[in-house]
Amino acid sequence: MHGLRKIYGSGENAVAALDGVDLTVGSDEILALIGPSGSGKTTLCSIAGGLLTPTSGTVIVGDSDISSYSPKQLTEFRRNAVGFVFQTVNLVSFLTARENLLVVDELGPRTRRRARERADQLLDELGLTKRADNLPAELSGGERQRVAIGRALMNEPQLVLFDEPTSALDTHLGDQVVALIRQEMKSRGTAAIIVTHDQRITHYADRVTTIVDGRIIPRTPDLVQ
Amino acid sequence: MLVVAIALLLFLILVQQALRDGLIDAFTGAINRQSAPVLVYSVDGQRTLQGSVITPSLQGTIQSTKGVGESGRIGQSTFTARINGAAKASVALFGYETASVGGPDRLTAGRMPRAPGEAVGSDGEFALGDTVRLAGARSAPVLRVVGLAANAEIQVLPTLFVSWSDYSSWVRAANPDASVVLASAIGVRPSPGTTPQALVQRINAASPEADALTRADAAQKTPGVSSVRSSFEVIFLLFAGVVPLVAGLFFLIITLQKARALTLLRAIGAPAGGLVRSLLIQALMVLGAGIVLGTLIWLPVSQATVGQLSLTFDAGAVLFWAVLLLALGLASALVAARRVLAIDPVEATTGGGGL
Amino acid sequence: MRLALRELHRRPSRFLVATAILALISMLLIVLGGLLDGLTASSTGALRAQRGQLIVYSSDAENSLVRSRITPDVRREVQRAAGARNVSGLGSVQVGARVPGHGLRDLVPVVLFGYQLAPRQLPDVVPARNEVFADSSLEAQGVRTGMTITLGPARSPVRVIGFLDDSRYSGQGTLWGSLDTWRAVIGANRPSERAGVGVQQALVVQTSGRSASAQAAAIDRATGGATKALTIDQAIQALPGVSAQQTTFNQIIGVTVSIGVLVVALFFALITVERVGLYGVLKAIGASSWTLFVGVVFQALVVALIASAIGVVAGIALDIAIPPGGSIPFSAGAGRLITSTIYLVIAALIGCAFSLRRVLRVDPASAIGGSDV
Repeated sequence: MHGLRKIYGSGENAVAALDGVDLTVGSDEILALIGPSGSGKTTLCSIAGGLLTPTSGTVIVGDSDISSYSPKQLTEFRRNAVGFVFQTVNLVSFLTARENLLVVDELGPRTRRRARERADQLLDELGLTKRADNLPAELSGGERQRVAIGRALMNEPQLVLFDEPTSALDTHLGDQVVALIRQEMKSRGTAAIIVTHDQRITHYADRVTTIVDGRIIPRTPDLVQ
Repeated sequence: MLVVAIALLLFLILVQQALRDGLIDAFTGAINRQSAPVLVYSVDGQRTLQGSVITPSLQGTIQSTKGVGESGRIGQSTFTARINGAAKASVALFGYETASVGGPDRLTAGRMPRAPGEAVGSDGEFALGDTVRLAGARSAPVLRVVGLAANAEIQVLPTLFVSWSDYSSWVRAANPDASVVLASAIGVRPSPGTTPQALVQRINAASPEADALTRADAAQKTPGVSSVRSSFEVIFLLFAGVVPLVAGLFFLIITLQKARALTLLRAIGAPAGGLVRSLLIQALMVLGAGIVLGTLIWLPVSQATVGQLSLTFDAGAVLFWAVLLLALGLASALVAARRVLAIDPVEATTGGGGL
Repeated sequence: MRLALRELHRRPSRFLVATAILALISMLLIVLGGLLDGLTASSTGALRAQRGQLIVYSSDAENSLVRSRITPDVRREVQRAAGARNVSGLGSVQVGARVPGHGLRDLVPVVLFGYQLAPRQLPDVVPARNEVFADSSLEAQGVRTGMTITLGPARSPVRVIGFLDDSRYSGQGTLWGSLDTWRAVIGANRPSERAGVGVQQALVVQTSGRSASAQAAAIDRATGGATKALTIDQAIQALPGVSAQQTTFNQIIGVTVSIGVLVVALFFALITVERVGLYGVLKAIGASSWTLFVGVVFQALVVALIASAIGVVAGIALDIAIPPGGSIPFSAGAGRLITSTIYLVIAALIGCAFSLRRVLRVDPASAIGGSDV
């Protein structure tokens, strides 16, 4: 991302959620994005994932410049290249864990059998094989989060965005999930941006960036890790 | 949007109601307009004037029944005629022998016929001075409208009250093969001291061929009327059923859109009762506005005439439907409110695992 | 679409209310349609049973059989225009019939037709004097073959020698006899409608290959405008009450369908509002608005079809339960059942179109942050 600006409203009421952000994430790098609420981290994440269009500036994911994609193009982009793990609402409540993973395939390539195999493989890696036919209501918080991670990985994305993945989990579970995230990202060489205010995550990230009031704050070396 | 929907529904209901009343009037108006308190058909007639034929012997039996004050023949038939020389039209003739038992009981204009060829016409279709000729090259007396009466149609046709002799002449002119012109019914007035109901029973007892009815019953029990009533009942039920459906679903949508705000209010301690009350007040205002709007639209339209049916503004009907729709709408709003308040504030604010 | 299907499968209760209401509406449509079809059949059977293609009334009759009168002179002119063997007479009279087993005042209203050209289902030879065929609906009134019933105040006796189906007229059962029988009955019971020798109310004309409208015009020309020749369909439309009935009922049916549209629209608007969060997430992971909308349409279709199926079953059950010739004219034919289903499906499709805007408006970015939706 380069020179990113996102302005809401206009004239006197204009609010710059992002004000000239430059950020680069390596193709298999895990970046932790820390900032107080209102800092623009969610906006940054949304733009990176193709959920929002910047007011100005460029966003390049992989080899695609998505800065001025139309909503339709963005939808396709998200379908093929990005994975999301949201903070709260995540899974479709009337689908089993496996079906939640398969939704991605149904929305896109429709490879059916291959997708099923991939889903089962992912569920296995995430330790969810026994819970594959359970509905979200029957799963624990940690299990739900793992299903969400599985879904985010189904379309073999170039980039996965995590929005506060540990906020609803206790210390032990949170730790487990983040370790799992790192393992999955690294084994696939997928880039990840984790938006969080949980300090524990920083240990698992390759890099930590702070954002305040729409601007990236450079960190002094001894504060990293 | 709901305001417009409610207004439209109320308007449609009132239109249909007026149409129904207008239709029933147009079917049997003449029966209520004619002066005889008791009408005697032949039982073969199935309570329609056109189907009924009174033989001379039956007529004698009727007229000699105890309690009969005045009586006179009544004949009714449909003809093709020209009004003021215009194109052919169907016209109903209501012939009476004695004005006090068979003639129109009330006029809105003009006077009763005094001489041959004079007639009283239904006021929706005729004007004073109109001439009516039997179609075809047949000699029948030309009729001239000298009086007008309201709600005087029969079988939804322009109707003329004429003397028995004019009626009889028209029947013979239309069918040269007719041997004798018999009455369709006998109009009877009870003698002092006898009620119409008592007379009805006596006449029916006097002969199994006689089918006597009070004037009101005769109009109500015409076969066409009950089928008209039932068809419209179905329509009303449909419409009345729509209101709670529409209102309920509408309020449900609105309250669900505000669900987050509402549950937050509840979480911080706002009492459920207060929220329900405010929703009901809102519902009341919306429904009320719709009802008022519907009534206002109905006011000018109710003065109109649809074909041969004249609509009327029936305040009682308006009130009835307004209250009913209001009650139904509020009931459904209540159901919507309950559904929303069933959301547990704790669960809603912390967010569950699924959607 | 599979997503939509799964939701239907796993959460049927959510769609229960809409399905129930639409099933009610489907039943209403079928009942209304069935009533209309029954009423129409009950009014028009006699005309539809005719083998001829034209009915000729006198021009002063305003297309009313009862007011029409064709004299022998006029008939000759018609015969010259259409060919004598193609022209037959028809007469009718409405009377109350006294059927054995009924009470003193319990008359069966019937219409007695006198004919020369046998209606379909009847043998070519016209019955003998005072013998008649009866419409099968009169069986429900206790009429049987061989039975003698009396007509009108003059108690004219006629003997029933057989039955035919679907020949009712003006909502009443019919009797079919020779023109002589008819003249005798009408003369004895309704002297003011009496028909002289050779006089009939109308003529039934076979066109023998010639275009019906051309033949009709030719007949009216030949009689110098004394007649009005109509095709059977035109005569049916001219029957008092038929077109009014059809208009009224079709109006009610139209309103009912609109209510169906409304119900679907509101219900699916409701569902969409409830699912805004879900749609946000789905859009975020790459679902297009179109995909989501197709899901909504699919669900609406399934609901409509299930509701229609319930309505059809109810309609067929009603058709079986209601005795023919009884007081309720009801006929749930295949055509009506199919038409009602199509109406409901179209209503469902139109109804969910109203949710399209809402689906389009869902912002995928709302999925992040989990804040107010």
